Amino acid sequence: MGSLLGGLPSVDPHNFTQRHPSGHPVPCKPRLVTYRPTHNQTLPPPDQVITTEAKNILIRNFYQQAEEKSRPKRAATEQLIPEHGCKQVRASTSYSK
Amino acid sequence: MIRNKKSFDSKVTFKTNNVASRIFERQIRTPAPGTSVHCARRFYENLVPRFTIYDVECPDHSFFKFTDDGQYFVSFSKNRQDLIVYRPKWLSYSCNVEDCDDTHELPPQAKRFESFFTQLYVQSLASCNELICKDFFLYMESNQFGIFATSTAQIQDARAADGAILGVPSFEKITIHLLRLEDGVKLDEKVFHNDCVNFTHNMGAFLYDDLLAVVSLRYQTIHILQIRDSGNLVDVRAIGAYCREDDELFINSSSQLSGNRGDLVDNGINHDQPNSNNSFLSGIKQRLLSFLFREIWSEETDQTQRIQCLKKKFYFHFQDYVDLVILKVQFLDRHHLLIKFGSVDIGGSRNTDQLPAFFAVYNMETTEIVAFYLNAAEKLYLLFERFCDHFHATSISSMYMNFISSHSNNIHALEQLKCMKNKATSASQFVKKMLSSLPLNCQSMSPSPYFDQSLFRFDEKLISATDRPRQSTDHPIRPRIRQRRWSEQKVFTFPVPSFFSIGSLLHPAVFVPASVVDEYSLPEIIFCKYLL
Repeated sequence: MGSLLGGLPSVDPHNFTQRHPSGHPVPCKPRLVTYRPTHNQTLPPPDQVITTEAKNILIRNFYQQAEEKSRPKRAATEQLIPEHGCKQVRASTSYSK
Repeated sequence: MIRNKKSFDSKVTFKTNNVASRIFERQIRTPAPGTSVHCARRFYENLVPRFTIYDVECPDHSFFKFTDDGQYFVSFSKNRQDLIVYRPKWLSYSCNVEDCDDTHELPPQAKRFESFFTQLYVQSLASCNELICKDFFLYMESNQFGIFATSTAQIQDARAADGAILGVPSFEKITIHLLRLEDGVKLDEKVFHNDCVNFTHNMGAFLYDDLLAVVSLRYQTIHILQIRDSGNLVDVRAIGAYCREDDELFINSSSQLSGNRGDLVDNGINHDQPNSNNSFLSGIKQRLLSFLFREIWSEETDQTQRIQCLKKKFYFHFQDYVDLVILKVQFLDRHHLLIKFGSVDIGGSRNTDQLPAFFAVYNMETTEIVAFYLNAAEKLYLLFERFCDHFHATSISSMYMNFISSHSNNIHALEQLKCMKNKATSASQFVKKMLSSLPLNCQSMSPSPYFDQSLFRFDEKLISATDRPRQSTDHPIRPRIRQRRWSEQKVFTFPVPSFFSIGSLLHPAVFVPASVVDEYSLPEIIFCKYLL
C-alpha cells in the first residue's frame, strides 16, 4: 500500500507524489534562518546586572529637568552638535494630533 | 499601518453588549494582555441602576464615606463625638415574573436602611471639649485601618511660641487616631499641642502605603509617621527646622562646643530652636535657598553675569524666599515629597489661583531639593498633563486605584482637557488653575467604575469622581454609556434631590449614591436598584 494520500483523485497527477511511499512522516527541515553572530561586540559586559529603575517616570523627569538646568548655557553652535555617544535630550513636547 | 480598521475589528473581535454573550465570551477567550481588569469593568455597562428608592428612613448621623474597598461605611454622630461604622450589605431580590420592569413593586424590606447597612459599632473618638474633623478620613486598605482626627476649638488669642509662625490659628490639642475598622479598637494616637493642621478634604495629611505625612502649619514641620502592622504609629522623621533625624543633636552639640549660648543649662533637653538664637537658617529652608543659589549660579558661565543674575533673581527676593511657608505636602513615592510653598495668607485664602506659590520636589533620604517650580511653570504643567497618574501616588496593594480615569490614561478625559485648554483665555492662567490642585488630596478620587470615562460619559460639572461638595441641580444627571455600536443607547438616571448640599457618596463597586445631608433636615438615602 502506498502513501495514504497517494492515488486520491487530484487535479494534477504529480501532486502528492513527493511523499514517502511507506507513509512515514518526513521530518520537517527547519525553514527559519538562524542568526549566528560572527563577533562578540554585542555581548553584555560580564558584570552587568539588570534591575528595575527605582524611580518612577515622573521623578526621573524631575531629575532630568534639574540636570538640564544645572548644565551651564552653551553657545548656540555647540548645542546643535550632539555629543557622541549620549542621547539627545528631548525637549518637552505637548501632545500633537 | 491601520487600514480598514473597522472591518478588521468586526472580523476578529466580535464585541457584543449582551451580558450573557459577554459571559460566554469570557469563558472561551482570554482578554488581551494587561486588560483583564478593563474587560471585567465593561460588565458595568450591563449593570446599570434602573430604579430609585426615596425617603428611606435612616439614623440621624452624618454619613461620610465608603472605604475604597467597599467594606465599611463611615459616619459620624451629629454631635461629632462618635464614630459609627456600618458594613454595607446588599438586599438581594430577584423577580420571577416575565417582563419585570420598573413598575414592579419591591418587597417592603427594600425600603429599610437596615437591609443595606449593618451597624458594626459606635466608638467614641472625641472627649467633651473636642470635635471630630468631619472632613477627614484616610483608609489603609492592607490592614483595614482607619485614620481619623479630632481637635479642640481654635484658641482665639494664640500667643507666639518658639518656632511657631504668626498668622496661623492655633488649636490646643489635635489628635490623630488610628483605629482598626473591623472592630473599632483604637490602636494608637498622635497628639499635636498648640498646633494647626488643615484637615479639610484630607489636605493636611497624606497616606502612602504605610507612611503618613502630616503638615504642622504652625510649626512648619512635616511629620512623617509609619503605621506598623501591629497598629503603632511610629515617628520616622520631622522635616522642617531639621532634615535628618540626628540634626538636632548635631546642631546642639556643635553650638555647645562653640559656646554660642552662654546660658546653656539643659543639654539636649532644651526646647529652644536654633533659629531663635542665631541667624542661621537650617533645615528645609536652608536646602531650598542653597538649591536656588546653585541653580542660578550654574545658569551662567561668565562670573560677572553670574553675579548680576544672583543679585536680580536671588538676593533681591531673598526675604520673600525666607518667608515662604510650607502649605501642603504629598508623597510622590516613598522617598520623594512634593511640597507646596506659599505665603501665610494663602493658607486661609479661598482664591489661591492668583497668589504666587511654589512647588518643590524634596528627596527625604538625601535631604535634597530636586526641583523647584513656580505655580505657573509650563514645564511642571506638561509633566502633570503627561504623568497625572503618578501624582496620584497610590500604594501597590490597592490595584483598583490604578484604574481611576485621568487625562493621562484616558483619551476622553484628555480630549476634555484639551477642550478646556483651547477655551482658556490665557495660557498662564490655565496652567495656574490646573496646578492649583497640586499637591493632590489623598484618597479624594472615587474608584467606582461608573466614573470610568471609557465606559460612561457624564457632565463633569454635575458629578465627578472627586470628593467635593457640589451645587444643587434639579435636573437628573444622566450618564451615558460610551460604546455606541448599537442604536439603542443605554442610559441611567441619577436623580438628585432638590436640597443637595454636601455631596454624593458612591460605593466603589455598586451605585449607591447616598445622602445629601442638609443640616436641618433628616438625611435621605437613595438606593438604585439594578435591572439586567
